[in-house]
Amino acid sequence: MITSIARKEFAEIVRDGRFKWTAAIMVLLLLTAMLAGFQKYTTAMRIQQAAQAGTNQQWLDQGDKNPHSAAHYGNYAFKPAGPLSYFDNGISNYTGTAVFMEAHKQNFAIGRPASDQSAIARFGDLSGANILQLLLPLLIIFLGFTAFSGERESGTLRQVMSMGVTNRQLLWGKALGVGTAVMIVVLPCIVIGAIALSMAGSVDHAEGMGTRIAALSVAYLMYAGIFVFLTIAVSAMTKHARTTLMVLVGFWAFTGFLMPKAASEISKFTDPTPAFGKWMADMRAHQIRGIDGVPPFVKFAKYTKEVFKEYGVDTVADLPMYFVAVRLQKLEEYDYPVFDQHYGMIRDAYAAQRKVQDRLGLLAPTLPLRSISMALSGTDLIQHVKFMTDAETYRRNMVVKMNDYLSKAAVDLNATSSSSNYMRADEEVFAIVPPFVFEPPALNSMMAEHRNNFILLALWLAAAIGLAIFATNRISMERN
Amino acid sequence: MLEAKQLKKTFGDYDALKGLDLKVNPGDIYCLLGANGAGKTTAINLFLNFIAPTSGTAEVCGIDVVREPLETKKLLAYIPEQVMLYGNLTALENLRYFAKLGGHDYTDTEYKAFLDRCGLQSGAYAQRVAQFSKGMRQKVGVAIALAKQAKALLLDEPTSGLDPKASNEFSALLIALKNDGASILMATHDLFRAKETGTRIGIMREGQMMQELGTEDVSHADIERIYLEHMHGDAGKFAA
Repeated sequence: MITSIARKEFAEIVRDGRFKWTAAIMVLLLLTAMLAGFQKYTTAMRIQQAAQAGTNQQWLDQGDKNPHSAAHYGNYAFKPAGPLSYFDNGISNYTGTAVFMEAHKQNFAIGRPASDQSAIARFGDLSGANILQLLLPLLIIFLGFTAFSGERESGTLRQVMSMGVTNRQLLWGKALGVGTAVMIVVLPCIVIGAIALSMAGSVDHAEGMGTRIAALSVAYLMYAGIFVFLTIAVSAMTKHARTTLMVLVGFWAFTGFLMPKAASEISKFTDPTPAFGKWMADMRAHQIRGIDGVPPFVKFAKYTKEVFKEYGVDTVADLPMYFVAVRLQKLEEYDYPVFDQHYGMIRDAYAAQRKVQDRLGLLAPTLPLRSISMALSGTDLIQHVKFMTDAETYRRNMVVKMNDYLSKAAVDLNATSSSSNYMRADEEVFAIVPPFVFEPPALNSMMAEHRNNFILLALWLAAAIGLAIFATNRISMERN
Repeated sequence: MLEAKQLKKTFGDYDALKGLDLKVNPGDIYCLLGANGAGKTTAINLFLNFIAPTSGTAEVCGIDVVREPLETKKLLAYIPEQVMLYGNLTALENLRYFAKLGGHDYTDTEYKAFLDRCGLQSGAYAQRVAQFSKGMRQKVGVAIALAKQAKALLLDEPTSGLDPKASNEFSALLIALKNDGASILMATHDLFRAKETGTRIGIMREGQMMQELGTEDVSHADIERIYLEHMHGDAGKFAA
């Protein structure tokens, strides 16, 4: 019975002129977005790989110099595009693609594509994710809003209800019919996107690509399901198809446009981030006064005494390591907790903002889906924070390696002036710093991080189904 | 068989049906006559369980429609004034869909036979019904009733708006169904068709059954006179 209802619903939808137009537009947009995104992705990957290889080589070819100067010469870490960024570009346009790693300084990422875009780009990228998040619900609404209210208006609902069919059978049949019509539009585009991805040979780039695609598909299917059942529920509750359409389009605008903006503003209000200038000034001041209120130079003087005592010496010249290098490294290390605290404060604020936005997903299903989609595509904040953390770890390691080498290799300079007897290192020394390799966050931890968003989507789906059951159970011919 | 026992329906302060007693036996075409608001459609809606009775019972083949709504709907076929079909589906597809909703399935040949029996031209079977005339839709409606193997038919002014030829063809179909043993309850304003097609007539006014007649016992002129007298409120002479 349900299959018969679904078949009828499907046949009616696909024979309707509206379907042909909306489906054609949807397919065109999806394919254009996916192919454009894919082209952008492959270009970005090529540039990133070339840039990373180039900067790695530059590090080696920087010319003979003091190892600490080499640490100042620095290196760049280039963030690889997320494994599914061609589908969902997430916040990549705003977070920066490269970070300069140098001695004494922890830098922000630079190279934000958004800064190179025209004003029109503020309306958002044409990405597969954007289309599915915004236009898929609209497609579902257009295809399904007449499910009950249209039949009520045309009189076929009386005919159907006289046949001895249950309201529940009608609900599931209609949901299946609308869902199938939507899927024949969307699925081919997804398959084409997946084929293009596999052909590009970038499947190995990320851990568990199959799992990512599967989880992403589940999330979007749940999202589509939410709108299918909401559409049917509203259609069952309203007398006129026009009313159904108005209510649903209103909800669509609320969840797709209003809430993402509102959530962003609310989260900024609840967990504000400091103004950049003030934050930077605070951090510099904190570096000078020391993490615990003891200035670095005072700390180092104390450390020097401890070292002299440890080695039983009275002068630097008697130490078994080049003490300038030790000093440089210690001053670097005194800054670690200051950097961790101040950068951590920003990261914590962003994380808190993200959590607030995720919680607001209780009001709008687009929010949890957006988070899941960005995370699985490798274009979310977590991915970026991991990149920045990896870059900072790399930077510290680079400086440690250079200072450590200097401290051991230039012991004889303790008794002389470094300006007159400068220690030079070459490519062989620089090679002890391995090339930067970014390890994206583990898929398991990311899934765990977004468990609540999956739960929210599931709750929305359950609520939509519940509402649809409630609404169809209440269908009465008495009110017709 | 269709049977109403002291069937009442109240909408707020308005008594739409005031204790209707009615019995339509297999092989009967019972025509409910009455002005608009007499309670004819309310009675049909109660048999369909589209509305719940305030009191009393409506039964189809001895089964209470409120207690077993799905069971009784399986035994019923409903043909409204305008048989509403899905415009984007063909006649054959509409028939197949409604038959399946009614729990039946047939071969294409059998579906075509139902349409053929109802007098729909074979060239129209594969046409989308959006362009069908009312008469053609009514024929598909009867084909649905046939495919459903309904024991009882509820018809709400089915010939309203049909041209005389189409109306005559429709009546012939009803008589064929009656001869097959169906119980048919038809609300109508068409006194002529009631006399020609029906076996019994019930005249209703303001939610009450005023008088029942056997169509063989009265002439066309009698029916019209009795009907008008009831409508004008000076009946009684013929009630005996």
